[in-house]
Amino acid sequence: MLSWDELQKAKFTETNARERAFGLVDKGTFTEFVSPRDRMPSPHLPVLGEAIGYDDGVVTGIGLIGKRPVFVVSQEGRFIGGAVGEVHGAKMVQAIKLALKAYEDVKEKYPDSYEERLPAVVISFETGGVRLHESNAGLLAHAEVMDQIQDARGKIPIIAVIGSKVGCFGGMGFVGAATDVVIMSEQGRLGLTGPEVIEQEMGKDEFDASNKALVFRTTGGKHKYIMQDANFLVKDTVGGFYQQLQEVMKLPFAEIEKFRRIGSKELVEEQLELVKLAVELGAKDSMDVWKYYGNEDPAKLVDMGPEEFLKVAKRRERKLG
Amino acid sequence: MDYEQGMIGRGRDALEMIFDADSIKENLIDDIQIDSEIGPGAVVGTGLLDGEKATFIANDAQAINPRFNVVYFGVIGMEEAYKMALAVYNTMEADKDKPLEQKRPLVLIVDTPGNGPGKTEEIFGMNKATGGYQLALAEARKLGHPIVAMVIGRAISGAFLCHGLQADQILALDKTFGTMIHVMPLTSIARITKIDIERLEELSKDNPVFAAGVDFFHKLGGVEEIVNKVEDMKAIIKKHIAEVREAKKAGQAEKLGPWGRGALGDERGGRVVRKKIIEKMTEEYNAVADKYLNA
Repeated sequence: MLSWDELQKAKFTETNARERAFGLVDKGTFTEFVSPRDRMPSPHLPVLGEAIGYDDGVVTGIGLIGKRPVFVVSQEGRFIGGAVGEVHGAKMVQAIKLALKAYEDVKEKYPDSYEERLPAVVISFETGGVRLHESNAGLLAHAEVMDQIQDARGKIPIIAVIGSKVGCFGGMGFVGAATDVVIMSEQGRLGLTGPEVIEQEMGKDEFDASNKALVFRTTGGKHKYIMQDANFLVKDTVGGFYQQLQEVMKLPFAEIEKFRRIGSKELVEEQLELVKLAVELGAKDSMDVWKYYGNEDPAKLVDMGPEEFLKVAKRRERKLG
Repeated sequence: MDYEQGMIGRGRDALEMIFDADSIKENLIDDIQIDSEIGPGAVVGTGLLDGEKATFIANDAQAINPRFNVVYFGVIGMEEAYKMALAVYNTMEADKDKPLEQKRPLVLIVDTPGNGPGKTEEIFGMNKATGGYQLALAEARKLGHPIVAMVIGRAISGAFLCHGLQADQILALDKTFGTMIHVMPLTSIARITKIDIERLEELSKDNPVFAAGVDFFHKLGGVEEIVNKVEDMKAIIKKHIAEVREAKKAGQAEKLGPWGRGALGDERGGRVVRKKIIEKMTEEYNAVADKYLNA
């Protein structure tokens, strides 16, 4: 495994879930919970003749960013596409539950200064959602994660990190959308229905899943950043995400709440305006929307490096937030 | 049986069967109006259950959405999901000054094959629409509104997560009605996982974490009670609303909703590792907590 310092410079897309978990918090502070040493794999895979993973495709644990305890969930796409089954799901759910417990404990012990020690949850998504091999258990686990996210509302921030090869799709696509802050890289992808499924359901005319450029400009980091579905766009290194997390941790919680896209009547009404726009524009391509938001030559944005993109890209203006 | 065709595609009929005669007011929660033009695939509003006001949220499989061609036969599109969310927020608003035990119930009538797939949906963010509705339901549930979902037809994958799995309790018509609860048909699972369909068929006979169907979901704790007759829906929904209300009054919200279904799954022997993971993680966290909370 790469050292923490090496990880900071390493490409996020090329690191594994454990490396990301280590690299997303302060140097040397990460402690893993239910690590492979505990040997608690999925009990449902062997009957299907599938290989097990001793971490069931997700690394969970705790680290620090400054004084703040950060509960980390880091999914591994190389294990069954990062899909969520009973064990994987329970680890995710419990990470948030423990962060809420930590919140209560910190508040009690430091009633006047708990904000500087406010726990946070960071979820590095790399998943297509429900694991089909244990689909019912995976489905129920998704509902539990959403339930915990609502429990965390107004108490502790839940931050999505999306920069992996697999992206964040299926049921986890709405879990990502339900977090407080979304940080993406250009390589990260966020959505509900994956490209192959759209093609299969709607036909190649509607969506050609083999067209990588189309796939990236529909669900990739740049598009989500323009739409304000991603709050921050960072470069594809572990350090890029870590530094952005440090910045977010400096903000007061009231500011963080403003990054939300959904979670109140006002936000739903704001989103409905966007749905109206979808009808009015009759957009056939995400670039039509980029243009609508004032990007005169949207095709140019596609190949632009991240630094220049951040300088010139015009984003959807929000009434809220 | 009178309903040999089952109840698939009959969300509006179910509303008539469950709510008092002539009590249904569409797009209205008290005097708060929801735009009747949006989301035709979802029916929302207020009805009476033996005189008691309740918000209903149902799929209308007969409707098509003229603006979004992926929305037909009960699919939940962006407009539908946001309309459903608004029904929930308006319900909270209408009862905001009422004490916990007087918060009105929400009844979800579930018959949906999926969330809207499509390029437009991905460009504008279908994930936010379905997520937004779920957060609204979770908030209402935690505020004290009893939420009961009644699966009358299809409760498929992400659409069931969207419309159903955030309820306090879930009921389902039994399988003779053609009720379907699953993530994906076996043929698709076989194709994606590359596991032989024969093996999958064999397993689906007795493996609740994997097999499709109401009975398996019941064993997993995903369905609270199976309803055998459509005539019984009203009485059983009312019974569960009363039960949920009692539990909330007694401060036992942990027994309800997604978390409660986890405990139920353990009790019924369908999901027993979840609890071990939770305990192990808590134990390992407790061992290091001081170091992190007092850094």
